Amino acid sequence: MKRRQFLTGAAGAALLSAMPMSGIRAWAQGASGVITYGQSTAVLTLDPAHGAFTGYPGGYEAALLIFDRLLDFDADMTIVPQLAESFTMSEDLQSCELKLRSGVTFHDGTPCDAAAVKFNIERMMNKDINTTNRPLWNPISGADVVDATTVVIRTSAPFAQLPNTLAHGSGAIVSPAAIEKYGEDGFAQNPVGAGPYMVESFDPGQELTLKAFDDYWGGKPGASGVVFKFIAEPATRINALTTGAVDVIDSVPVQLVAQLEGNSEIEVVRRPGLRPIGLAMNLTRPALSDVKVRMALNLAVPVATIAEKVFFGFAKAPDSPLAFDAIGHKSINETVYDPEQAKALLKEAGYVEGSDGIVEKDGAKLSLSLYAPEGLFPGDVAVAEIVTASLKQVGVDVQITKIEKGGYWDHLRQDQANLAWELGMFGFNPSNASGTYHLASLFKSNADDSTKPDVWNIGRYRNAEVDALLKTADTAPDEAARMDALGKAQELIWADAPYLWLQINENVSAVRKAVTGVSVMPIVFTNLRAAAKS
Amino acid sequence: MIGFLARRFATIPLVVLGVVTILFIIFKSVPGDEAAFVAGATATQAEIEAVRVQLGLDRPLIDQYARHMSGLVVGDFGYSTTFRGNPLPHIVNRLPATLALALAAICLTIIAGIPAGVVAAAYRNRIPDYLISLTVVGLLAIPNFWLGMLLIAWLSVDLGLLPSFGASGPASLVIPTLALAARLIALVARMTRGVVIEELRKDYVRTARAKGLSKGLVLRRHVLRNVMIPTVTVIGLQAGYLLGGSVVIERLCAWPGIGDLLLTAVSVRDYTLVQGIVLIFVVSFLIINIAVEVLYRFVNPRLRYA
Repeated sequence: MKRRQFLTGAAGAALLSAMPMSGIRAWAQGASGVITYGQSTAVLTLDPAHGAFTGYPGGYEAALLIFDRLLDFDADMTIVPQLAESFTMSEDLQSCELKLRSGVTFHDGTPCDAAAVKFNIERMMNKDINTTNRPLWNPISGADVVDATTVVIRTSAPFAQLPNTLAHGSGAIVSPAAIEKYGEDGFAQNPVGAGPYMVESFDPGQELTLKAFDDYWGGKPGASGVVFKFIAEPATRINALTTGAVDVIDSVPVQLVAQLEGNSEIEVVRRPGLRPIGLAMNLTRPALSDVKVRMALNLAVPVATIAEKVFFGFAKAPDSPLAFDAIGHKSINETVYDPEQAKALLKEAGYVEGSDGIVEKDGAKLSLSLYAPEGLFPGDVAVAEIVTASLKQVGVDVQITKIEKGGYWDHLRQDQANLAWELGMFGFNPSNASGTYHLASLFKSNADDSTKPDVWNIGRYRNAEVDALLKTADTAPDEAARMDALGKAQELIWADAPYLWLQINENVSAVRKAVTGVSVMPIVFTNLRAAAKS
Repeated sequence: MIGFLARRFATIPLVVLGVVTILFIIFKSVPGDEAAFVAGATATQAEIEAVRVQLGLDRPLIDQYARHMSGLVVGDFGYSTTFRGNPLPHIVNRLPATLALALAAICLTIIAGIPAGVVAAAYRNRIPDYLISLTVVGLLAIPNFWLGMLLIAWLSVDLGLLPSFGASGPASLVIPTLALAARLIALVARMTRGVVIEELRKDYVRTARAKGLSKGLVLRRHVLRNVMIPTVTVIGLQAGYLLGGSVVIERLCAWPGIGDLLLTAVSVRDYTLVQGIVLIFVVSFLIINIAVEVLYRFVNPRLRYA
């Protein structure tokens, strides 16, 4: 054989044999009625336990279609029935009776009845099996089967957020038979639920193909199938949508929305998120322990302008420690930009302007270290720079330290002795939409302020009145009383200003107009449950 | 030949041992708490500690290293949080796509780069040479991800000729291959041009011409054979670069190879998976190098009897 022939032949053969099979499979798709969704995060695992659905939020978005839950959130984050036709919380908030739909089956044909629900609740209670979302599941102490369609879920203490837990993504009801078949380690790659779509093929980190589940209790779903494709690069996602290769994309960068808005075949879907971004203040520092200083910092930053200019209007200034769609959100006050008032407050707090324009008190300059991650929150570094410039205007010196996003949580969540920052950028996304859960995670006093914070009270905020109100908001039997307490807690926290509140970003997705019913939920998820393709 | 191959392959375990140890040290010293990342942003401190114990991250380093090494020997890369187990099958599953892309890029380089260089040399300092040299400079200067974006915008979005992403049949191989191969084509063309010009000056060319062979025949039958030797060297050396370059291009084109998986692993901080992929990259690189040496002996018979 001649050398030339050898070279050409070998290269050609290798090339053909190396073509991935999944490629050939994907080529055959595109039948009408199949919706293709280009996701910014890959679907990796599909099990509510063992670390929950990953990656976030991609895994949860797929889980919304594969699994039904006992309860669900509607578009306004109100709790509505799903597998349970109705639910009743007991007077003491220590148990909840759920009436299940009858005749519901999982994709494998086994019944989704009270016994299956009991199995699921006990599985999620087990700390060895379910390692994540623990604050949602820890209060639950057991589940009892009353009859085939009635289940009672018990908690060890009053727990008003129980319905939120059941409606949360991790409340997905899985097929006990499938757990038996694939084992605790194998289920995440072979998920079986009772949702409107069932898994046809799953290539983790790459592609997930779902087909309509014909025996779904809620009737035939709107599409014959849904394909999730992982496209990490935003420009590539937008190109894929423009060419029609995909029907839906998520996480459209706000600076690229304009490209899509001119396209008559594409609709931009947007919704404010549940995660208010802010700068946590390190209250263990003397300067920041003064509420006047904290209020001055808030007055000195033009938050509404940041939302308008940095995020092209795809963000809003907050009016409470909670985001607009969090359950129990109460509008307290608009954020105000008033640098003169800020200067006056600093003066009241004892700060006088030094020779270099930086204010000082007892010879110590008001100089703050601001920690911000790169690429963890939308526009994080840009926002930090604007904050720095704005605070400089009122005589506060701020030094930014940018932290690689992987190591960022470590810097925020430190023993008191190792806290290196005065201002730390942070945002908490309450995945069960509960305002009580959100405030308790961020503002409930730590058991011990010198060690690492219990949850995310990284600035060591401590207000006994807020603690009491949060307890009421969690445990009062009467819903109005709980909401009232939650509202008061928001007022107190807002007045204490333990954060420099910044912005609430919108989640932006885009959809080709041939597809209807795609919604963006406040908790980041782009929801295709009700989607249909003509 | 067999002895040569045996000696070459015998070095692989040694290099791998070194690489694995260095990787282990790097990943134990990077900032960021792996347990905190796995537990998620809403985890409490108690949950983070529980995850740490579950992943064995609370054990002494030397103990972790020993378990890591003994696992690797039997093909157990450790516990990947992404795949809930040994990531090796998933990495191997992604390998064909990356190899297909690299091979396609090498083929394109051979098909386009060598002829371009020969043509430029044959028409030295005339218009075809100027056009080719200008293109070469351009391709060397353009970063591959930007070229990829331009190609997608033009061939896929504007003209609708090719898929804009993914691996859906042979057509979707075109854009990533072009973007990946561009720099290599330019390098090979430039080098071929130089070598051909040099060869054309040599005595044997004058002799061949003098005995009446046509210019084209001399070029094809005599000059090209000698040009192949440095060309194979350059392409071989650059094959490793193709693996690295494919990380960026795979992400841009959503090509389901191990480069794309590597970036996913980094973003979810799955250190086990990252270590596994880097190890596969290293082994692939070593094997490619051996393959190039074999090929080198094939195109240059003089080496075989050395």
